[in-house]
Amino acid sequence: MNQFRMCLMICAIGGASLCSGQMAPPQLFSGMEGYTFLPDGTAIPIWGYGWVADGYITLPGPLLEYTQDEFVQLNFTNPSPESHTIHLHGLDVDQANDGVPATSFFVVTGQEATYEFTADYPGTFLYHCHVTTTLHLTMGMYGMILVNRPDMTLFEGGPSYAENAPILFSDLAIETNVDAVQSFPFHDIRPDVFMVNGVSGNQLEQPDHIIDFEPGEPIALRLGSMAYSLMRLDFPSELNATCYMSDGRPLPEPFDVEEMDIFPGERFTVMIEPVEGWDGYIGCEFWNIPDQELDGEQSIHVRDKSLSVGEWSELIAPLGYPNPTRSSISWNGPASVSVFDVSGVLVFQGPLDQGQLHVNGWSTGMYTAIFPDGNRSRFSVIH
Amino acid sequence: MRLCKSLIAIFLALISNCLSAQDTLWIVRGEWTHIPDSVQAIRFNSSADWSGINATLSRASDESTSLVVVNTDSLSHTWKLHVDEEEEWAIEAFDTLTFEIPALPIGTYLFGLTDEIGHVLGASGQLQVGLGVEFPLFHWNLGDWSMQRMASANMGVPVAWEEPYVPEQFTINERTYPATVDDPEALVAMSLGDTCWISIANHGFMDHVFHFHGFHVTMVSSTHHPERVGWSKDTVPIRMGEGLVVQLVANQMGMYPVHNHNLIAVTNAGFYPGGMITQIHVMP
Repeated sequence: MNQFRMCLMICAIGGASLCSGQMAPPQLFSGMEGYTFLPDGTAIPIWGYGWVADGYITLPGPLLEYTQDEFVQLNFTNPSPESHTIHLHGLDVDQANDGVPATSFFVVTGQEATYEFTADYPGTFLYHCHVTTTLHLTMGMYGMILVNRPDMTLFEGGPSYAENAPILFSDLAIETNVDAVQSFPFHDIRPDVFMVNGVSGNQLEQPDHIIDFEPGEPIALRLGSMAYSLMRLDFPSELNATCYMSDGRPLPEPFDVEEMDIFPGERFTVMIEPVEGWDGYIGCEFWNIPDQELDGEQSIHVRDKSLSVGEWSELIAPLGYPNPTRSSISWNGPASVSVFDVSGVLVFQGPLDQGQLHVNGWSTGMYTAIFPDGNRSRFSVIH
Repeated sequence: MRLCKSLIAIFLALISNCLSAQDTLWIVRGEWTHIPDSVQAIRFNSSADWSGINATLSRASDESTSLVVVNTDSLSHTWKLHVDEEEEWAIEAFDTLTFEIPALPIGTYLFGLTDEIGHVLGASGQLQVGLGVEFPLFHWNLGDWSMQRMASANMGVPVAWEEPYVPEQFTINERTYPATVDDPEALVAMSLGDTCWISIANHGFMDHVFHFHGFHVTMVSSTHHPERVGWSKDTVPIRMGEGLVVQLVANQMGMYPVHNHNLIAVTNAGFYPGGMITQIHVMP
């Protein structure tokens, strides 16, 4: 009865989150055989970056975190069938490390390279492939870089914060991702999937995409865009949002922000200190730039931590790989599991069969598995 | 008769120049050959001879001056200097008018034809006020072009504004990459340690955003976002109709691209690389 295909998106288990400030593992790789999943479970092909140690690519690529003044050696290997690079967007690296094929170097199939730079300035930056940029970027080859200060201030003499919340906007055109070879010409690309940290719609209601705040503890929203669209954000007044930085530099004068536009490639750091008990949304509009028409909307859920389910309070980036041939999911270690669908409804609770959860006959969609020790995993079932 | 009027217009312009040293611009229609799909276009040229590249005006800051505009086109047009005064001026076919340019603070301002045909066919240039004095100056006139709209406008057919806008060509100083790097005004060539200003004007029908590799630039002026003066940015939006000036300090050597980060605009008719790409060259 193995009549359906199943894909997995395995979350970082045991809090091995790359969003949580841990030093970056040493080696990225590029891949061209990944998938991302729409809220209805549809699998969309992506290209992207992942950690060699994990062995799979993600959308967006892993968050890279460094400390100000750190000398960074970013190791990169390309086992994929095409050449790729890493452009360190906004870090003002020298020509050799700029990641532009014509002026720097390609990393061809089977080769490794090391990008070197000193993280002079704290702030929010991006990275992306600069080979046939139009195509490689829309296929998913991008991610965010944070340069932090050890004292948890935004910049020297700047305000302090309790937590980073990296938020990377992007979009894709399904037709392009499904058939990249036929994607040219590119001037008329019209995205139809609009994403926040690689997900959209009700996926943003999953616990790891909700920003839970502790009253009185400011959160630094690290906003960046790799979208084709112009982003227009709406910050409700209860967030007490103040913009302090743009493009990795302090602003001469911080300003309170209710509405903010973010163009492709721009970044802003906005501090929020929401009022106690608040539970609401940051509105995210995706505007087509040539037509100035609203193409899509998403909402980022922000809520008082006291209103959240405790064990779901951490921000965890979805990390995973697709596997379209299996009908069960395996974990090493846990003996039992509770599984929730995207609406938070418990759909399974019980022991695992020798570490395996059989999902034959399950509905298409994304699920969150919670283990007795509080660790979590996410997976998607597609037919 | 038209030839006669045109000659009179040119004569008047020459007289006017002799009297007060003011600049004169000619509205000229011709074949724009800088893009693969050669099309009819209208330009502001610095002489009656056709050029596909719009002319640039320069003025001292805080001084009112005059400008003579000679219309060599067979159509009447409307002309506007995009400053606070949103006044438009009609200029008849083969006519010559003298305009007063008000005293303006340091910055980049747009001027151009505002009637549908003149606008779509690209008669639009930049007025640089108080620039090129303290630091070397480069300039980028940004344009996005729909061949269909241009063909319609050239034939006098009303443009279907309600249809989706799908420009095929994206230009800096009316050139597409790689021709942009042959333009000494668009290619930013500097010596290590030098400072320059770049005067940028968005004449297109959509917003643009430029990413600087290797450098942050400091906002010197902006017609649309004066509150951003002093910001240090590596990715700079230029709104439709905006004029802005940025300062670049060449603090490292090398060759670095500067390009639109709306990636539809780094293509020529959809093919990468093209469109709005230029480079910064910093030599010892």
